[in-house]
Amino acid sequence: MAELRKRGLVTAVIYSGPFLKLGKAQARTFGVPELPLLEITHPLGGISIDDVRARSEQAAPQFAALIKENLK
Amino acid sequence: MSNLKDLMLVPGAGLETDGDFDKVNALCMEKGWGDGLPLVPPTAQRVEQMLTYCDRPYDEIIGLVAPRYGAATPLRLAANAVMAGCLPEHFPLLMLTIEALCDETFNLYGVNATTHPCSTLMIVNGPLAKELKMNWGHNAFGPGNQANATIGRAIRLAMLNIGGAIPATGDMATFGSPAKYTFCVAENEAENPWEPLHVELGFAADVSTVTVYGAESPHNVNDHESNTGLGVLKMTAGTVAMTGANNVYFDGPPLLIFGPEHASMVARDGYSKADVKKYIYEHARVRLDAFSDENIDRRIRQWPVFKGEFTEAGPDRMVPVMKSAENAHLVVIGGAGKHSAYVPTFGATQPITRALKLRNGTFAKSVEEFRQK
Repeated sequence: MAELRKRGLVTAVIYSGPFLKLGKAQARTFGVPELPLLEITHPLGGISIDDVRARSEQAAPQFAALIKENLK
Repeated sequence: MSNLKDLMLVPGAGLETDGDFDKVNALCMEKGWGDGLPLVPPTAQRVEQMLTYCDRPYDEIIGLVAPRYGAATPLRLAANAVMAGCLPEHFPLLMLTIEALCDETFNLYGVNATTHPCSTLMIVNGPLAKELKMNWGHNAFGPGNQANATIGRAIRLAMLNIGGAIPATGDMATFGSPAKYTFCVAENEAENPWEPLHVELGFAADVSTVTVYGAESPHNVNDHESNTGLGVLKMTAGTVAMTGANNVYFDGPPLLIFGPEHASMVARDGYSKADVKKYIYEHARVRLDAFSDENIDRRIRQWPVFKGEFTEAGPDRMVPVMKSAENAHLVVIGGAGKHSAYVPTFGATQPITRALKLRNGTFAKSVEEFRQK
Protein backbone atom coordinates (compact mmCIF):
# COMPACT_ATOMS: atom_id res chain seq x y z
CA MET A 1 0.00 0.00 0.00
CA ALA A 2 2.76 2.41 0.98
CA GLU A 3 4.68 1.52 -2.20
CA LEU A 4 1.63 2.19 -4.38
CA ARG A 5 1.13 5.55 -2.72
CA LYS A 6 4.76 6.45 -3.25
CA ARG A 7 4.22 5.70 -6.96
CA GLY A 8 1.44 8.29 -7.01
CA LEU A 9 -1.62 6.03 -7.06
CA VAL A 10 -4.68 6.99 -5.06
CA THR A 11 -4.51 4.72 -2.03
CA ALA A 12 -6.15 4.41 1.37
CA VAL A 13 -6.40 1.98 4.25
CA ILE A 14 -9.80 1.10 5.65
CA TYR A 15 -9.84 0.57 9.40
CA SER A 16 -12.33 -0.03 12.18
CA GLY A 17 -12.18 2.24 15.23
CA PRO A 18 -9.73 0.50 17.63
CA PHE A 19 -7.14 0.07 14.87
CA LEU A 20 -6.61 3.77 14.18
CA LYS A 21 -3.38 4.01 16.20
CA LEU A 22 -1.95 0.91 14.50
CA GLY A 23 -2.83 2.36 11.08
CA LYS A 24 -1.20 5.69 11.86
CA ALA A 25 1.91 4.03 13.30
CA GLN A 26 2.28 1.76 10.26
CA ALA A 27 1.82 4.66 7.86
CA ARG A 28 4.67 6.49 9.62
CA THR A 29 6.80 3.33 9.62
CA PHE A 30 6.45 2.92 5.88
CA GLY A 31 7.17 6.57 5.12
CA VAL A 32 3.66 7.69 4.13
CA PRO A 33 2.40 9.46 7.27
CA GLU A 34 -0.31 11.26 5.30
CA LEU A 35 -1.82 7.98 3.97
CA PRO A 36 -5.60 8.41 4.13
CA LEU A 37 -7.30 6.19 6.71
CA LEU A 38 -10.99 5.57 6.08
CA GLU A 39 -13.04 4.58 9.12
CA ILE A 40 -15.77 1.97 9.20
CA THR A 41 -17.76 0.78 12.22
CA HIS A 42 -16.05 -1.79 14.43
CA PRO A 43 -16.11 -4.80 14.34
CA LEU A 44 -15.60 -6.26 10.90
CA GLY A 45 -15.21 -9.87 12.11
CA GLY A 46 -18.16 -11.89 13.38
CA ILE A 47 -20.91 -9.95 11.60
CA SER A 48 -23.59 -10.89 9.09
CA ILE A 49 -23.13 -10.53 5.35
CA ASP A 50 -25.68 -7.68 5.41
CA ASP A 51 -23.57 -5.89 8.00
CA VAL A 52 -20.46 -6.46 5.84
CA ARG A 53 -22.32 -4.78 2.97
CA ALA A 54 -23.21 -1.89 5.27
CA ARG A 55 -19.51 -1.49 6.12
CA SER A 56 -18.63 -1.37 2.43
CA GLU A 57 -21.32 1.28 1.96
CA GLN A 58 -19.58 3.32 4.66
CA ALA A 59 -16.21 2.97 2.98
CA ALA A 60 -17.20 3.42 -0.69
CA PRO A 61 -18.26 7.10 -0.55
CA GLN A 62 -15.15 7.99 1.44
CA PHE A 63 -12.98 6.39 -1.20
CA ALA A 64 -14.97 8.03 -4.01
CA ALA A 65 -14.43 11.41 -2.35
CA LEU A 66 -10.74 10.68 -2.09
CA ILE A 67 -10.53 9.91 -5.82
CA LYS A 68 -12.43 13.09 -6.69
CA GLU A 69 -10.12 15.11 -4.49
CA ASN A 70 -7.12 13.68 -6.33
CA LEU A 71 -8.65 14.48 -9.74
CA LYS A 72 -8.82 18.21 -8.91
CA MET B 1 34.22 -4.42 18.24
CA SER B 2 33.05 -0.83 18.46
CA ASN B 3 33.71 2.22 20.51
CA LEU B 4 30.75 2.60 22.84
CA LYS B 5 31.72 6.12 23.82
CA ASP B 6 31.48 7.28 20.18
CA LEU B 7 28.15 5.55 19.66
CA MET B 8 26.74 7.16 22.79
CA LEU B 9 27.42 10.56 21.18
CA VAL B 10 24.82 9.79 18.46
CA PRO B 11 21.73 11.94 19.18
CA GLY B 12 19.08 9.87 20.94
CA ALA B 13 21.49 7.08 21.91
CA GLY B 14 21.16 7.90 25.58
CA LEU B 15 19.90 10.36 28.12
CA GLU B 16 21.17 11.74 31.40
CA THR B 17 19.51 11.09 34.74
CA ASP B 18 20.90 11.06 38.25
CA GLY B 19 20.96 7.25 38.13
CA ASP B 20 18.63 6.68 41.06
CA PHE B 21 16.81 3.33 40.57
CA ASP B 22 13.37 4.68 41.44
CA LYS B 23 13.75 7.79 39.28
CA VAL B 24 15.03 5.81 36.29
CA ASN B 25 12.10 3.43 36.61
CA ALA B 26 9.62 6.28 36.95
CA LEU B 27 11.08 7.82 33.78
CA CYS B 28 10.85 4.51 31.88
CA MET B 29 7.25 3.99 33.00
CA GLU B 30 6.37 7.53 31.95
CA LYS B 31 7.95 7.00 28.52
CA GLY B 32 6.31 3.58 28.14
CA TRP B 33 9.65 1.79 27.87
CA GLY B 34 8.97 -1.59 29.30
CA ASP B 35 6.66 -4.42 30.27
CA GLY B 36 5.31 -2.86 33.46
CA LEU B 37 7.76 -4.61 35.78
CA PRO B 38 10.73 -2.83 37.37
CA LEU B 39 13.71 -2.47 35.02
CA VAL B 40 17.42 -2.59 35.71
CA PRO B 41 18.66 0.91 34.73
CA PRO B 42 20.63 0.50 31.47
CA THR B 43 23.61 2.64 32.41
CA ALA B 44 26.46 2.97 29.92
CA GLN B 45 28.62 0.85 32.22
CA ARG B 46 26.09 -2.00 32.37
CA VAL B 47 25.44 -1.87 28.62
CA GLU B 48 29.17 -1.97 27.96
CA GLN B 49 29.49 -4.99 30.23
CA MET B 50 26.64 -6.73 28.36
CA LEU B 51 28.46 -6.10 25.09
CA THR B 52 31.57 -7.96 26.21
CA TYR B 53 29.89 -11.04 24.67
CA CYS B 54 29.28 -9.36 21.31
CA ASP B 55 31.38 -10.34 18.29
CA ARG B 56 30.21 -7.68 15.87
CA PRO B 57 30.02 -3.88 15.51
CA TYR B 58 27.60 -2.43 18.02
CA ASP B 59 25.66 -0.56 15.33
CA GLU B 60 25.37 -3.48 12.88
CA ILE B 61 21.75 -4.37 12.15
CA ILE B 62 20.82 -7.87 13.35
CA GLY B 63 17.24 -7.60 12.13
CA LEU B 64 14.32 -5.23 11.60
CA VAL B 65 11.76 -5.79 14.33
CA ALA B 66 8.09 -5.51 13.31
CA PRO B 67 5.70 -3.80 13.49
CA ARG B 68 7.81 -0.62 13.61
CA TYR B 69 10.64 -2.39 11.75
CA GLY B 70 13.04 -0.84 14.22
CA ALA B 71 16.69 -1.73 13.66
CA ALA B 72 17.86 -4.20 16.30
CA THR B 73 21.56 -3.43 16.77
CA PRO B 74 23.73 -4.96 19.48
CA LEU B 75 23.73 -1.60 21.28
CA ARG B 76 19.93 -1.37 21.43
CA LEU B 77 19.56 -5.04 22.23
CA ALA B 78 22.11 -4.78 25.03
CA ALA B 79 20.17 -1.93 26.66
CA ASN B 80 17.06 -4.14 26.66
CA ALA B 81 19.05 -7.12 27.96
CA VAL B 82 20.30 -5.02 30.88
CA MET B 83 16.78 -3.80 31.62
CA ALA B 84 15.54 -7.42 31.65
CA GLY B 85 18.22 -8.54 34.12
CA CYS B 86 20.26 -10.68 31.71
CA LEU B 87 23.85 -11.71 32.32
CA PRO B 88 26.42 -10.78 29.64
CA GLU B 89 26.88 -14.43 28.66
CA HIS B 90 23.21 -14.53 27.63
CA PHE B 91 23.85 -11.98 24.90
CA PRO B 92 24.85 -14.27 21.97
CA LEU B 93 21.55 -16.16 22.39
CA LEU B 94 19.64 -12.88 22.31
CA MET B 95 21.29 -11.85 19.02
CA LEU B 96 20.55 -15.29 17.56
CA THR B 97 16.91 -15.16 18.63
CA ILE B 98 16.35 -11.72 17.10
CA GLU B 99 17.86 -13.00 13.85
CA ALA B 100 15.41 -15.94 13.86
CA LEU B 101 12.38 -13.81 14.72
CA CYS B 102 13.17 -11.41 11.87
CA ASP B 103 13.20 -14.18 9.25
CA GLU B 104 10.39 -13.22 6.88
CA THR B 105 8.67 -16.62 7.02
CA PHE B 106 8.18 -16.24 10.77
CA ASN B 107 5.77 -13.36 10.09
CA LEU B 108 6.75 -11.27 13.10
CA TYR B 109 4.44 -8.47 11.98
CA GLY B 110 1.45 -10.79 12.23
CA VAL B 111 2.60 -12.37 15.48
CA ASN B 112 3.19 -9.02 17.18
CA ALA B 113 0.31 -6.97 15.81
CA THR B 114 -2.51 -9.55 15.83
CA THR B 115 -5.51 -9.61 18.15
CA HIS B 116 -4.58 -13.27 18.86
CA PRO B 117 -2.84 -14.02 22.21
CA CYS B 118 0.38 -15.40 20.74
CA SER B 119 3.84 -14.60 22.00
CA THR B 120 7.38 -15.37 20.83
CA LEU B 121 8.35 -18.75 22.28
CA MET B 122 12.00 -19.78 22.11
CA ILE B 123 13.22 -23.35 22.61
CA VAL B 124 16.96 -23.86 23.03
CA ASN B 125 18.80 -27.06 22.07
CA GLY B 126 22.39 -28.22 22.33
CA PRO B 127 25.19 -27.52 24.82
CA LEU B 128 24.28 -23.84 25.12
CA ALA B 129 21.30 -24.67 27.35
CA LYS B 130 23.56 -26.27 29.93
CA GLU B 131 26.22 -23.59 29.61
CA LEU B 132 23.66 -20.86 30.33
CA LYS B 133 22.19 -22.92 33.21
CA MET B 134 18.77 -22.96 31.58
CA ASN B 135 15.87 -24.98 32.95
CA TRP B 136 14.34 -27.82 30.93
CA GLY B 137 12.91 -29.74 33.90
CA HIS B 138 10.34 -28.96 36.57
CA ASN B 139 8.80 -25.52 36.01
CA ALA B 140 10.77 -24.99 32.81
CA PHE B 141 8.17 -22.42 31.76
CA GLY B 142 8.64 -20.69 35.10
CA PRO B 143 9.14 -19.46 37.59
CA GLY B 144 12.56 -19.59 39.14
CA ASN B 145 15.32 -19.84 36.54
CA GLN B 146 17.32 -16.70 35.81
CA ALA B 147 18.29 -17.58 32.23
CA ASN B 148 14.81 -18.65 31.11
CA ALA B 149 13.17 -15.68 32.82
CA THR B 150 15.51 -12.89 31.78
CA ILE B 151 16.36 -14.06 28.24
CA GLY B 152 12.68 -14.36 27.38
CA ARG B 153 11.99 -11.02 29.03
CA ALA B 154 14.77 -9.31 27.06
CA ILE B 155 13.25 -10.55 23.82
CA ARG B 156 9.86 -9.18 24.83
CA LEU B 157 11.43 -5.83 25.77
CA ALA B 158 13.08 -5.77 22.34
CA MET B 159 9.67 -6.38 20.75
CA LEU B 160 8.26 -3.44 22.74
CA ASN B 161 11.10 -0.94 22.67
CA ILE B 162 12.74 -1.70 19.31
CA GLY B 163 9.80 -3.22 17.41
CA GLY B 164 7.08 -0.94 18.73
CA ALA B 165 4.83 -3.88 19.70
CA ILE B 166 3.17 -1.59 22.20
CA PRO B 167 -0.25 -2.56 23.55
CA ALA B 168 -3.13 -0.96 21.60
CA THR B 169 -0.71 0.75 19.19
CA GLY B 170 1.49 -1.93 17.62
CA ASP B 171 0.20 -4.97 19.52
CA MET B 172 -3.56 -5.30 19.16
CA ALA B 173 -3.95 -8.49 21.25
CA THR B 174 -7.49 -8.63 22.55
CA PHE B 175 -6.31 -9.58 26.04
CA GLY B 176 -2.60 -10.40 25.64
CA SER B 177 -0.97 -13.28 27.45
CA PRO B 178 1.16 -14.01 30.53
CA ALA B 179 3.55 -15.56 27.96
CA LYS B 180 4.26 -12.02 26.74
CA TYR B 181 6.38 -11.33 29.83
CA THR B 182 8.82 -14.13 29.07
CA PHE B 183 8.53 -17.38 27.05
CA CYS B 184 11.85 -19.20 26.91
CA VAL B 185 12.83 -22.82 27.68
CA ALA B 186 15.32 -25.50 26.76
CA GLU B 187 14.49 -29.01 25.59
CA ASN B 188 15.02 -31.86 28.08
CA GLU B 189 17.43 -33.74 25.85
CA ALA B 190 18.69 -36.06 28.60
CA GLU B 191 15.23 -37.57 29.11
CA ASN B 192 14.16 -37.43 25.49
CA PRO B 193 13.76 -40.99 24.16
CA TRP B 194 13.83 -39.66 20.60
CA GLU B 195 16.30 -37.41 18.79
CA PRO B 196 16.16 -33.83 20.10
CA LEU B 197 14.55 -31.16 17.93
CA HIS B 198 17.74 -29.73 16.46
CA VAL B 199 19.04 -33.19 15.48
CA GLU B 200 15.69 -34.01 13.87
CA LEU B 201 16.08 -30.78 11.89
CA GLY B 202 19.51 -31.84 10.61
CA PHE B 203 21.98 -30.24 13.03
CA ALA B 204 24.72 -32.15 14.83
CA ALA B 205 23.98 -32.92 18.48
CA ASP B 206 26.81 -30.65 19.64
CA VAL B 207 25.50 -27.64 17.72
CA SER B 208 23.42 -25.19 19.76
CA THR B 209 20.21 -23.83 18.28
CA VAL B 210 17.22 -21.73 19.09
CA THR B 211 13.83 -22.40 17.52
CA VAL B 212 11.21 -19.67 17.68
CA TYR B 213 7.43 -20.05 17.50
CA GLY B 214 4.59 -17.56 17.35
CA ALA B 215 2.73 -19.48 20.01
CA GLU B 216 0.01 -19.42 22.63
CA SER B 217 0.61 -20.49 26.21
CA PRO B 218 0.72 -24.30 26.57
CA HIS B 219 -2.57 -26.19 26.96
CA ASN B 220 -2.13 -29.07 29.38
CA VAL B 221 -2.71 -32.76 28.61
CA ASN B 222 -3.40 -34.39 31.95
CA ASP B 223 -3.13 -38.17 31.69
CA HIS B 224 -2.48 -40.06 34.91
CA GLU B 225 -4.30 -43.23 33.87
CA SER B 226 -3.01 -44.43 30.51
CA ASN B 227 -0.32 -47.06 30.79
CA THR B 228 0.31 -47.48 27.08
CA GLY B 229 1.77 -45.16 24.50
CA LEU B 230 -1.43 -45.45 22.50
CA GLY B 231 -3.41 -44.21 25.50
CA VAL B 232 -1.20 -41.14 25.90
CA LEU B 233 -1.45 -40.38 22.18
CA LYS B 234 -5.23 -40.71 22.27
CA MET B 235 -5.46 -38.23 25.16
CA THR B 236 -3.07 -35.86 23.38
CA ALA B 237 -5.04 -36.00 20.13
CA GLY B 238 -8.20 -35.24 22.09
CA THR B 239 -6.60 -32.07 23.47
CA VAL B 240 -5.36 -30.94 20.06
CA ALA B 241 -8.78 -31.44 18.44
CA MET B 242 -10.45 -28.15 19.30
CA THR B 243 -12.36 -25.53 17.35
CA GLY B 244 -10.93 -22.37 18.91
CA ALA B 245 -7.20 -22.66 18.24
CA ASN B 246 -5.76 -21.20 15.04
CA ASN B 247 -3.96 -24.34 13.83
CA VAL B 248 -7.15 -25.91 12.48
CA TYR B 249 -7.58 -22.90 10.15
CA PHE B 250 -3.97 -22.51 8.99
CA ASP B 251 -1.09 -24.66 7.82
CA GLY B 252 1.51 -23.49 10.37
CA PRO B 253 2.67 -26.54 12.37
CA PRO B 254 1.35 -26.96 15.92
CA LEU B 255 3.84 -27.69 18.70
CA LEU B 256 3.51 -30.83 20.84
CA ILE B 257 5.38 -30.96 24.13
CA PHE B 258 5.67 -34.35 25.80
CA GLY B 259 6.58 -34.57 29.46
CA PRO B 260 9.43 -37.09 29.92
CA GLU B 261 7.20 -39.73 31.53
CA HIS B 262 4.64 -39.62 28.74
CA ALA B 263 7.43 -39.55 26.13
CA SER B 264 9.07 -42.57 27.70
CA MET B 265 5.81 -44.56 27.59
CA VAL B 266 5.09 -43.62 23.97
CA ALA B 267 8.63 -44.47 22.81
CA ARG B 268 8.66 -47.70 24.85
CA ASP B 269 5.64 -48.85 22.87
CA GLY B 270 7.50 -48.39 19.61
CA TYR B 271 6.38 -44.99 18.37
CA SER B 272 9.01 -42.87 16.64
CA LYS B 273 8.59 -39.10 16.37
CA ALA B 274 7.25 -39.59 12.85
CA ASP B 275 4.74 -42.16 14.15
CA VAL B 276 3.55 -39.74 16.84
CA LYS B 277 2.99 -36.98 14.30
CA LYS B 278 1.16 -39.36 11.98
CA TYR B 279 -1.09 -40.48 14.84
CA ILE B 280 -1.92 -36.89 15.80
CA TYR B 281 -2.56 -36.00 12.16
CA GLU B 282 -4.98 -38.90 11.80
CA HIS B 283 -6.74 -38.57 15.15
CA ALA B 284 -6.68 -34.89 16.14
CA ARG B 285 -9.70 -34.04 14.02
CA VAL B 286 -12.80 -32.00 14.69
CA ARG B 287 -16.25 -33.03 13.45
CA LEU B 288 -17.46 -30.47 10.95
CA ASP B 289 -20.65 -29.80 12.90
CA ALA B 290 -18.63 -28.85 15.99
CA PHE B 291 -17.91 -25.56 14.20
CA SER B 292 -20.53 -22.83 14.03
CA ASP B 293 -22.49 -22.55 10.79
CA GLU B 294 -20.68 -19.32 9.91
CA ASN B 295 -17.24 -20.88 10.45
CA ILE B 296 -18.22 -23.86 8.30
CA ASP B 297 -19.50 -21.65 5.48
CA ARG B 298 -16.87 -18.91 5.56
CA ARG B 299 -13.75 -20.78 6.59
CA ILE B 300 -13.83 -24.57 6.40
CA ARG B 301 -15.63 -24.70 3.07
CA GLN B 302 -13.82 -21.76 1.47
CA TRP B 303 -10.35 -21.07 2.84
CA PRO B 304 -7.52 -22.08 0.48
CA VAL B 305 -5.74 -24.09 3.20
CA PHE B 306 -8.50 -26.75 2.93
CA LYS B 307 -8.08 -26.95 -0.87
CA GLY B 308 -11.81 -27.43 -1.42
CA GLU B 309 -11.87 -30.70 0.54
CA PHE B 310 -14.89 -29.65 2.62
CA THR B 311 -16.85 -27.65 0.07
CA GLU B 312 -19.63 -30.24 -0.03
CA ALA B 313 -18.78 -32.12 3.19
CA GLY B 314 -21.50 -33.35 5.52
CA PRO B 315 -21.68 -32.73 9.29
CA ASP B 316 -19.81 -35.89 10.28
CA ARG B 317 -16.70 -35.20 8.20
CA MET B 318 -13.58 -34.82 10.32
CA VAL B 319 -11.39 -31.71 9.87
CA PRO B 320 -7.67 -32.28 10.60
CA VAL B 321 -5.77 -29.85 12.82
CA MET B 322 -2.46 -30.78 11.16
CA LYS B 323 -2.42 -30.33 7.41
CA SER B 324 -0.08 -33.27 6.71
CA ALA B 325 1.38 -36.20 8.65
CA GLU B 326 4.70 -34.39 9.05
CA ASN B 327 3.37 -30.95 9.86
CA ALA B 328 4.07 -30.65 13.60
CA HIS B 329 6.99 -30.00 15.91
CA LEU B 330 7.55 -32.34 18.84
CA VAL B 331 9.81 -31.73 21.84
CA VAL B 332 10.31 -33.15 25.34
CA ILE B 333 10.27 -30.66 28.22
CA GLY B 334 9.62 -30.89 31.94
CA GLY B 335 10.26 -32.97 35.03
CA ALA B 336 8.40 -35.79 36.75
CA GLY B 337 4.65 -36.08 36.31
CA LYS B 338 2.00 -37.29 33.92
CA HIS B 339 1.57 -34.15 31.86
CA SER B 340 2.20 -33.10 28.29
CA ALA B 341 1.07 -30.02 26.40
CA TYR B 342 -0.35 -28.80 23.15
CA VAL B 343 0.98 -25.39 22.14
CA PRO B 344 -1.27 -23.89 19.46
CA THR B 345 0.42 -21.29 17.31
CA PHE B 346 -0.74 -18.16 15.52
CA GLY B 347 -1.11 -20.48 12.52
CA ALA B 348 0.06 -17.97 9.90
CA THR B 349 3.64 -18.43 11.05
CA GLN B 350 6.43 -20.93 10.53
CA PRO B 351 8.91 -21.94 13.25
CA ILE B 352 12.46 -20.80 12.52
CA THR B 353 15.62 -22.53 13.77
CA ARG B 354 19.01 -20.83 13.88
CA ALA B 355 22.32 -22.34 14.93
CA LEU B 356 24.70 -20.45 17.19
CA LYS B 357 27.45 -19.16 14.92
CA LEU B 358 30.10 -16.52 15.16
CA ARG B 359 29.90 -13.57 12.81
CA ASN B 360 32.42 -15.30 10.52
CA GLY B 361 29.97 -18.18 10.02
CA THR B 362 31.65 -20.87 12.11
CA PHE B 363 29.61 -22.84 14.64
CA ALA B 364 30.25 -21.63 18.19
CA LYS B 365 30.86 -24.37 20.73
CA SER B 366 30.57 -21.95 23.63
CA VAL B 367 29.42 -18.40 24.29
CA GLU B 368 32.98 -17.75 25.50
CA GLU B 369 33.98 -17.61 21.81
CA PHE B 370 31.93 -14.40 21.58
CA ARG B 371 33.77 -12.82 24.49
CA GLN B 372 36.04 -9.98 23.58
CA LYS B 373 39.67 -10.65 24.44
